This record gives sequence, structure tokens and C-alpha cells, in this order.
Amino acid sequence: MPVTSPSPDDPVSPGPLAGGGTGTALLPPAIELDDVTKRYGRLVALANASVTVRAGSVHAFVGANGAGKSTSLGIIAGRTTPSSGTVRVFGEELHTGDARASRAAGIATIYQELTVIPTLSTQANVFIGQELRGGGLTRERAMRNALSELNDRLGVRIPIDVQAGTLSLGQQQMLEIMRALVAPPRVILLDEPTASLAQRERDALFTAVRELNREGVTMIFVSHQLDDVLAVCDTITVFRDGRVIETRPRAQWTKTDLVRGVVGQDLAAVHRGTDSAAAPTAAPRLRVEGVRVGSVRGATFELREGEVLGVAGLVGSGRSSLLRALAGDRRPSAGRIWIDGDERPWPKTIREAQRAGLSLLPEDRGALGLFPGMSAADNILISNIGAGARRGIISRRVAERQATDAAGRVHFDERRLGAPARNLSGGNQQKLLLARWAHNPPRILLADEPTRGVDVGARAEIGRTLRQLAADGMSVLVASSELEELEELCDRAIVLANGVVVGDLAGSGELSAKNILEVVFCAERGE
Amino acid sequence: MSAEAAGGAGTAGEPVGTRSATADAQGRRVADFLTKYAVVALLAALVIASSIVNHGFWDGANLKNILIQSSPIAIVSVGMTFVIIAGMFDLSVGAIYAAGGVTFANIALGAPIGTAALVAIAVGLGLGLANGAVVTLLRVNPFIATIGTGAAFGGLVLIYSHSNPIFVDKGGFQKLGLGSFHGLPWPVLIAIVTFVVGAFVLSRTVYGRYLHAVGGNREAARLAGLRVNWLHVSVFVLVGVCAAVGGMIVASQLSVGQPTLGADVALQSFAVVIIGGTSVYGGEGAMWRTLCGVLILAVMTNLFNSLAWDAARQAVAEGVVLVGAVALDSLRRRRT
Repeated sequence: MPVTSPSPDDPVSPGPLAGGGTGTALLPPAIELDDVTKRYGRLVALANASVTVRAGSVHAFVGANGAGKSTSLGIIAGRTTPSSGTVRVFGEELHTGDARASRAAGIATIYQELTVIPTLSTQANVFIGQELRGGGLTRERAMRNALSELNDRLGVRIPIDVQAGTLSLGQQQMLEIMRALVAPPRVILLDEPTASLAQRERDALFTAVRELNREGVTMIFVSHQLDDVLAVCDTITVFRDGRVIETRPRAQWTKTDLVRGVVGQDLAAVHRGTDSAAAPTAAPRLRVEGVRVGSVRGATFELREGEVLGVAGLVGSGRSSLLRALAGDRRPSAGRIWIDGDERPWPKTIREAQRAGLSLLPEDRGALGLFPGMSAADNILISNIGAGARRGIISRRVAERQATDAAGRVHFDERRLGAPARNLSGGNQQKLLLARWAHNPPRILLADEPTRGVDVGARAEIGRTLRQLAADGMSVLVASSELEELEELCDRAIVLANGVVVGDLAGSGELSAKNILEVVFCAERGE
Repeated sequence: MSAEAAGGAGTAGEPVGTRSATADAQGRRVADFLTKYAVVALLAALVIASSIVNHGFWDGANLKNILIQSSPIAIVSVGMTFVIIAGMFDLSVGAIYAAGGVTFANIALGAPIGTAALVAIAVGLGLGLANGAVVTLLRVNPFIATIGTGAAFGGLVLIYSHSNPIFVDKGGFQKLGLGSFHGLPWPVLIAIVTFVVGAFVLSRTVYGRYLHAVGGNREAARLAGLRVNWLHVSVFVLVGVCAAVGGMIVASQLSVGQPTLGADVALQSFAVVIIGGTSVYGGEGAMWRTLCGVLILAVMTNLFNSLAWDAARQAVAEGVVLVGAVALDSLRRRRT
């Protein structure tokens, strides 16, 4: 397929965008992905994807974790080099894998992980790398004016002189958007922009998105929050398992269609099959009463033997704080705890919690879980290497057997046990952390976002492993921001909102993503 | 980040890997092998160069000389390897080295040699404990902390010795530095034993594995239930004892406890660990690497001496090799 790529000053190519939506139909598509594939080793993250994003549209990429939407975004942004295929921006072929080329083509990216530098002021953050200068000096006054104009334009009030670290997450997200707007982009890529926002901040963001769109900026919006997508986008593409499933205008999608497209019926079926092993009458393994930590202000709940209990709630509802308090990593200001019916003092350290039978599978596996230079086997064994040692000396034979055994239980390929953890994919890394607690099993496993950032295959295996551990008698507490995951994985879920447990959903009829959301929103409205 | 790098599900049979991909993987394996054993190649190259330039290189006397002279640093480097793998630094080892030598000499003046040795070792242990306490309890960055404690320890040594060298002419005092056991000089024997024990502890014991873990990811180690602070204190104590022993050997060789000794011990022990290829960021490394580093430094010094280079030029060369080694380490990390 011959591709004409006109030079930048070719008279035929569109010049700078005329503002105001009109006439954009005459422009070539803002972004065209043409048969793009991305592989990581054997894993295909994106397979033969072709998508056309009309100039001046707000286009959503939706899909579950590992569906390929973020990979597509990364390719457009120049952060990821595709294995094959071409990308055109306003008709011109993009030099892929080069973030500067993407930027030069008028593409600005707002990432999910904030890149704010906490110690610098708002102003310094917005203009970092693109300071307004004159005579070799920075023009602080001009930047100040430009920033307050941006504030007005987006209809927000972000304080200019404070350290960016003191801003709320939503404000920091807005700051990222301002950063993208300093040099007016033609296309803005937003990666899960609403994931950490409160409702009010979310509304402000949507207003800003519509405002920018009116000015002629094309937006690509990656999200798995279907309601957000339906609220702001005019075209929606669904990704699943690394493939483009379908692209349709907003008007032709219903939420049910979208859910079906994203989840895929086959996948949903797999999980429901292994239904709860925990009889509702089983004795409570853990009872927590009136715990106050972080934004949790008095949560009470029970976890039964062999049960997988979900902890649901919006970002900021304190899911993570709750798990960390139970793991002995954060000191709650109040709260009582019973394990197997006996009340005990709240564990003050990680080690105390572990002795009491509570172990944490931390949320951020890179920063909090893995030892990147150590072998996969050592990563598994580390919390209880002593079990394979006599008088402190490790027996290689025993250690190898134990590692292989634990690896098998989490479906980790034992041939990779010798590889350093840093060389493994996200899914395999997460399996290692899970294997760590399969090797040294706690009575209660506290799993914080156990499948964040892993591919679909690994996600299913991790889910299966957690269920298997529960079937073997472990009690598992799972905090997740993905409601579908809780629905698939858990026997029961408690819902946190306003700092308390506002709902307790059990059974396949009651426990669903939709019901969780309903409970949350009712509680929020009630306050 | 690196999470996405090579890998994926290990299920076989999917013919996705194209020829270029496997060629890439092979190239990476070769490159990995080369960077892993670069230090051995460097040592071999230096030995070959020395054999050519210095015809007396393989003389028994020359080799023995090389080994005896590098023994004190070698002993300190074993401790330093523990420190760096655990993700720490100790820049106060020079002062502890001096403290070991001076204490050994001063006590030996009025007490049996064995008592003097034990006291000197206890001093090294105590100063190491102090370092550990500052770093863990006061949570001072180890780099800064040990610059500070190093200055303080150095001052204490000067106060203790009234800034004068302490001469000992007592039979037996020189035995540690100049004597030998079945033909093997004591310093070399001690260095070898330290290396063997160190290598074993680091690679085969639970304690050694834990050190790799705290150095590789301190937060993860804490969350996995390891006693991070104790592990950190322990490496400072270890290197303190090693430094004191190194200082004792030198004092014994010179028959004098020299309070100003040890100025370049911190740099050199740090350099040999890093040149060997142990990661400056902690978590990865091995004792055989440090041994290579020690031998590289020793052969290099010997080579320069035979070329009649002065100390200034040698310092330049040492500095360049150290920076080169750190650059190699960081290059290796960037690739993965």
C-alpha cells in the first residue's frame, strides 16, 4: 500500500488548524493506525490494529486491562515502538518510537501516572521544559499571566505559587493538562484521566475537554470508565485481548453493548465457573471493628475462612489504607481486631502482622514488592528463606524444590525461575509476588490491586490462583479499583464510601459492578 | 517500566518470535555474558600487559609482594562488598582503619599482643555500630553520615594518640604483618579466609540473601517482613571490624600505629568493589567480583610502579577506572 507523505510545507497538506470545528471534515484524519502490531517477546500486546480518528473528534479507546488501548496510545505518543505497521498524523507518516517526533507532529500526552514534580511550584511545573524566555532569562510575569489565562480557559482555579505536591490529585491532573496546552497541540491523548478524580474535578475536566474540542483540538481518551466515555466522546473504539473489536459513533453504542464488547462473554463465563467454596456459615477468620485510618473513619467487617472478600470504593475511599493498616504498615487511630475469635492488639509493624497471620501483596509491585536484580526463585523464597535452610545455610536443592513448587501453584513458568525479576513481564512479576505468599502462606492475604497492569492471560491466572488459595483455606481480602474484577473474583464485597462500609454484597445475583456503583453513588448523594 | 520488557507467558508453540527477534535475543545473551565477565577480561589483559612490560612480574618475590601489599585493602573490601550490596556506603572506613592500627599499637605497649588485637577489633566493631546507629536510628543518608562520622572518628584517633605515631618495638608485634604460616604470609592468609567466608555468607546463607534483598529494594524488603534496620547495622559492624583488622596489619608491618593512616582506604575499597562489577545501587554483586577488583588494582599499581609512574599519575588512572566501572554498571541497567 503506497503511502504518500507530503512534506510539511507541501501546499496540499493542511496548515494550522482553523479553530471552531467547522471545516474539519475536509482535513485528513487526525490519527490513522494502519495494521499496527506490538509484541513483547511472545506476548502480543496489539495485533493488526487499524483505527481512524477523525480530526476534531473526541475519540475513546475502551477496553479492559491489557486490551491494547494503552499500547495504542503509547505508539501514537512515541513512547512505544510498534513491531510493524504505520501511523499517520493528519495524513503524514509518523516516525514511530520517537516521542519528540510525536510532539513535533502536534501530539500532546497526558499520562495516567502524574509527572508532577512535587517540590516545584505550579507555575514551574506547567512550564517545565517550555519556559517562556527573553534574553536568556525566564519571563516569570508572562508565564504567570499565561497560567491565569489557562485557569480561566479551563474554568478552574489552581493556585499558582504553591508547591505542586500540596495540590489535590485532581488539581495535579489539571496541571498536566495545562502543561499540554502551553504549546497548543492539535491532538491530545488522555490516558485514564479520570481514574483518580472526584466527581467535581471530573466535571471540570469534561468541561475543559469540550472547550478544547470546540477550539478544534482532537482528543483521544483512553479509559475503562464507560460512563465517562459515554458522557464526553463522540466516537468509541473497543479493544479486547490486543485487538480492535469495533469502532462506532457514540450514538450507535449502548452501555450494554460496550460492556459486552469490553468484557467478551467468553471471559466472563470462565470466572463465574469456579464459584464460592466458602460456606456463608464458616467461622470468621478476621473481624475488624471501628477502624479509622486515612480516609476510613470507622469501618467494621468480617472475613470468613476460605473466603475471597472484595473491598470496593472510589479512589480515595481508603481501600489501600485499610489493607496497609491490617498489614501493620500504617497505624490506625482507632480500631479493634479479632483473629479466629480472639481479640488482639492492632499489629504495629509488618512483622507483628505477619506473626498474626496477615501478609500484604502490595499495590505497586515495582516499588514495593520486587527485588529486581534477584532471581525469580529468590523473589519467591525471600520472606521465608529459612524454611529451606539449616543453621542459616541455604540448601540449593531444597530451595529449588520449594521455588518450583510455589511457582507451580501460581502458574508461573518454572523454566524462568533463574531469570532476574526485572526481565519478566508485569503479569509474571505479579505471579512471583503471589508465589511468595503461596510459599509462606498467611492465614489472611491482603491483596492490593492484584492485577493492575497485567495482561489478560495473567490476570485470569492470578484470579484462579487467589481462588485456589482460598479453596485451600486461606482468607483473602482483595482491594481493587476494577469493579468487574471484584465481580468475577470475590465471594462477597464490602463497599467503602465516606469512610465507612456502606454496602455488603454477596452472591452472583447481588455482587455486580453495577450494584457496587449504585451503592457508592447512593452513599455519596446521601452525604 | 521494565515490567513490559521481554518475556510474556511462557507457553510454547506460538510461532510469534521471528528470526530477527531470536537473533536479537542471542545478541543480548552475548552482550550479557560479555558485561558479566568483562572484569575477568580486564584482569587478564592487565596480567598479560604486566608480563610483557615487566619481565620480573612472574617472580615469586614480586607476586608475594603484590599479595601482601593488597591484603589490608582486600580485607576492608570484603566488608565493603557487604555494605554496598545492602545498599549502603561507608566512607568512614579510613578512620576506622587508623583507629584499629593505633589502638593495636597503643594497647600492645602495655599488654599482651592478643589482648591488643581483641581491643582493636572491638573498637572497629564499636565504631561500625555507631555508624549503623546514625544511619538507621537518626535516618541520615549513609553517604553524608559516614563522611561526618569519619571526620569524628579521625579526630578521636588524633586525640587518643596525641597526634603522634605510636612506635612499638616489641617482639611479636610484627608477626601479624610480616610473619607467615607454613610459608603463607599472615596478611594473605587472613585475606583469603575473609574472602572465602565472605563469599560463602553472601551467596549461600539466609543472611546473605536478605542483604541482597534490602539492597535491591528496601521498601519491598520491609513489606516482606525483613528486619531492615538490623541488616543495615550488621553490615556497618562487619566493615568496621574488617577495617580495624586491615589497620592492625599495616601497623604491624610498619611497627607503628600511625594516626594519619588510611586516607585513601575508603576510595580504594569502594573502587575495587565497583570495578569488580558489584552494583553501586545495591542488591547485586558477588565476592568473586571484589576479588577481581582487588587483583586489578594490585596488578595495576604493580604495573605502574614498574613503569616508574608517580603516585599522582596512578591516582588519575585509578579514578578513570573507577568512573569507567560505574558507567558500565549504569549502562547495563539502561539496557534492561
